[in-house]
Amino acid sequence: MQSSKRLTILVCCGPGCIANNSMQVYEAFKKHIAGSYLNVEVAMTVECECDKESSPAIKATGCHGLCEHGPLVTILPHDITYIKVKVEDVSEIIEKTVLKGEVVERLLYTDKIQKKKLVKRDEWTFYRKQKKVALRHVGLIDPGKIDEYLERDGYKALEKALKDMTRSEVIEEVKKSGLRGRGGGGFPTGLKWSFAAQAEGTCKYVICNGDEGDPGAFMDRAVLEGDGHAVLEGMVICGYAIGVDHGFLYIRDEYGLAVENMKRAIVAARERGFLGEHILGTGFSFDVEIVRGGGAFVCGEEMSLIRSIEGNTGEPVPKPPYPADKGLWGKPTVINNVETWTNVPVIINKGADYFRSIGTENSPGTKVFALVGKVNNTGLVEVPMGTTLREIIFEIGGGIPKGRKFKAVQTGGPSGGCIPEAKLDLPVDFDSLTAEGSMMGSGGMIVVDDRTCMVEFARYYLKFLSEESCGKCVPCRQGIKTMLEILTDICEGRGQEGDIDLLVEIGQMVQEASLCALGKSAPNPVLSNIANFRVEFEEHIKNKRCPAGVCKDLTAFYIDSKICVGCAVCAKRCPVGAISGDKKQLHVIDQGKCTKCGICMDNCQFHAVRVK
Amino acid sequence: MEIIIDGKKVEAQYGETILEAAKRNDVYIPTLCHSEALPGLATCRLCMVEIVENGVTKRVASCSYPIQSEIEVVTDNEKLRRIRKTLLKLYYTMAPNSEMIRKLMEQQDVREFNRCKVDTENKCTLCGLCVKACETMGTNAIYTVFRGAAKKVGTPFDEPSEPCIGCGACASVCPTNAIEYLEENGTRAIWGKTFKMVQCKACGKYFATEEEIAYLYQKLGDDIDIKKCETCRKKANANRFIAAIKAEGF
Repeated sequence: MQSSKRLTILVCCGPGCIANNSMQVYEAFKKHIAGSYLNVEVAMTVECECDKESSPAIKATGCHGLCEHGPLVTILPHDITYIKVKVEDVSEIIEKTVLKGEVVERLLYTDKIQKKKLVKRDEWTFYRKQKKVALRHVGLIDPGKIDEYLERDGYKALEKALKDMTRSEVIEEVKKSGLRGRGGGGFPTGLKWSFAAQAEGTCKYVICNGDEGDPGAFMDRAVLEGDGHAVLEGMVICGYAIGVDHGFLYIRDEYGLAVENMKRAIVAARERGFLGEHILGTGFSFDVEIVRGGGAFVCGEEMSLIRSIEGNTGEPVPKPPYPADKGLWGKPTVINNVETWTNVPVIINKGADYFRSIGTENSPGTKVFALVGKVNNTGLVEVPMGTTLREIIFEIGGGIPKGRKFKAVQTGGPSGGCIPEAKLDLPVDFDSLTAEGSMMGSGGMIVVDDRTCMVEFARYYLKFLSEESCGKCVPCRQGIKTMLEILTDICEGRGQEGDIDLLVEIGQMVQEASLCALGKSAPNPVLSNIANFRVEFEEHIKNKRCPAGVCKDLTAFYIDSKICVGCAVCAKRCPVGAISGDKKQLHVIDQGKCTKCGICMDNCQFHAVRVK
Repeated sequence: MEIIIDGKKVEAQYGETILEAAKRNDVYIPTLCHSEALPGLATCRLCMVEIVENGVTKRVASCSYPIQSEIEVVTDNEKLRRIRKTLLKLYYTMAPNSEMIRKLMEQQDVREFNRCKVDTENKCTLCGLCVKACETMGTNAIYTVFRGAAKKVGTPFDEPSEPCIGCGACASVCPTNAIEYLEENGTRAIWGKTFKMVQCKACGKYFATEEEIAYLYQKLGDDIDIKKCETCRKKANANRFIAAIKAEGF
């Protein structure tokens, strides 16, 4: 992992781990190390490599990926990773691992697929199929220290571009790499740059879209928090290639740490001459400023984002003209997503051929996904394009928890479609997912099991979109509102015959007629769920029954007398005392008391609780 | 340049919209949010047409799609009719009592759609023409507020808007007559404010608010004549024209 022999403790301080007190773990390491190495100032050990080879460096890094088991702590060069580390564990880790090189067995990760405890992170099934390109530094460096980025070839690509390549050679290299926009559209990045380069005028802009707003998605956040310089480097290279001196970094304001870390990265890059006037002593100047998004989902759409930077209401405007022609303040603008930018230095450094060697012919490179929902290993994963959904969910993701059955995976955030089990061998790339009525989106991947009602699932996303549609055009605003009304009726037992066809009719119109990508993709969850789970919709409408036991008005639970062993777990867990029965005897649900929360069903390990 | 609309070759200028080219060639495309003075809103989506550009077939809003190559346009086919019909069903739920919506429904053969809630009180379809008119006037008194299903047109915080001059441009461009105002006893009440009106020097009709006249002088200078109402100004111009041609001996 790291060539240096110096003892290094990497504490994951990504969003998931911070929520589980990883900052306290990090502080505890600093405090305890100071105690163990009495003659060494810990702050010093982190700041400089100097000659104190014996003192460990402690780094608060970006996301390591396996959020489900955080906080994660990795100790190098031993390459030992611990999971779910608490403040109380720190002294033992220092005593045994740091000082003696021994392993603390109880903190090791148990790989359910290989059925054993594993010491080295790279051996975990979770990491084995991953390929880190965009996330190459995330989790390994302290994002607050530019030197750590520089040690790993940071800003080498910029130097190469500025000193050894012409502007058009840079654009050609990006074109040749086949890099496609990672924000969801999948438009060829190099082509976009060449349009902006050819556009008339000398005043042009570069924008980084960091307005990640999909529920359950945190890919861009991880990069902005964990490796901000990679984003900046990509932007400066583009600035050089298209002849621009100003860039904007649009970050959603809810990402406080990302904003903080990017601010620090910009200051550091300016100090070292990678941003500002006469970059690396050349005649090229470029600077970046941060714009904080106001919390509108639609501002992830490029035209809305541009309007928002201009100080206008975040609403899309018709395309064409495209931003590369007339963007920010009517000037040619290149706008790319965070993940797209981080790929750029790799392409310049290692060449387009290297990049093309990863992934598929039409979708080269890797893609980062936020793998969440009903899957054992929730977290941040990066895989080569073309990896199948099955590999991501059942190998990297470790399958479905509690022995339940996989039902569907939604790719592409709230506007993505659901893909059923029959299509799990689909390779993940831009074209395959779109062909299945879903989309790559920015990389959200939500796994659902058989306890998820597909009607309610679609309703949930339409509720989100009805609040987040900007409301400018009628198909999106009124179409989503109407579909939501129908779906709510279906979930609450008021579904009518003909509703499914009506949903399809409205959904198809919204796809065709909406002004921007938000509206065009908004019906995806409804249409793909109808296509793949039509029977479930029909059950709700005709038989007033929710097979998954989620829609409360259409659900009644019972306990199967053939399966129940009378363990009484359901009775103990029932929050309203609706379940009764003697020990080792059949238990019964009092329908009058039952609130249909489903806790009994989720906790019965024998699967004896059924939906009528 | 030459493009094809519904199988017919027509002349078009680079950069003009499909709707402009169609109108000039007497091809009808239904619209709601389109106004020649305030073009390009593209919110109503009724003007969707199908085009073939560089071998790719797609459906676009004709009011905002610029002609940049020799495209082929179809303004009416099964798919487009379906889009318009479904859209009008939604319009019906929004503003069932608007004459304009009723007219479009009749024209596109759409019946009343009562599966979902119908807002019988409302006439506004949020096309945005009023806001654009106010913005173009330079007054910026009204805006769209909120987003998604909660979106509406209003003044900031629903308070009487300070910059409003009561010109009524918003109401006059509204295709569904959704903006209410009341004129009585020499006053005009609109957006929660009541304005004193000015009488025409010739016919005595109340024709503009005091604030509107003051605003026009401020924007256009003192040498313009806005002491008379529009009808009397036209009459005066016509009389001058007649006098001029008589003087020439016609």
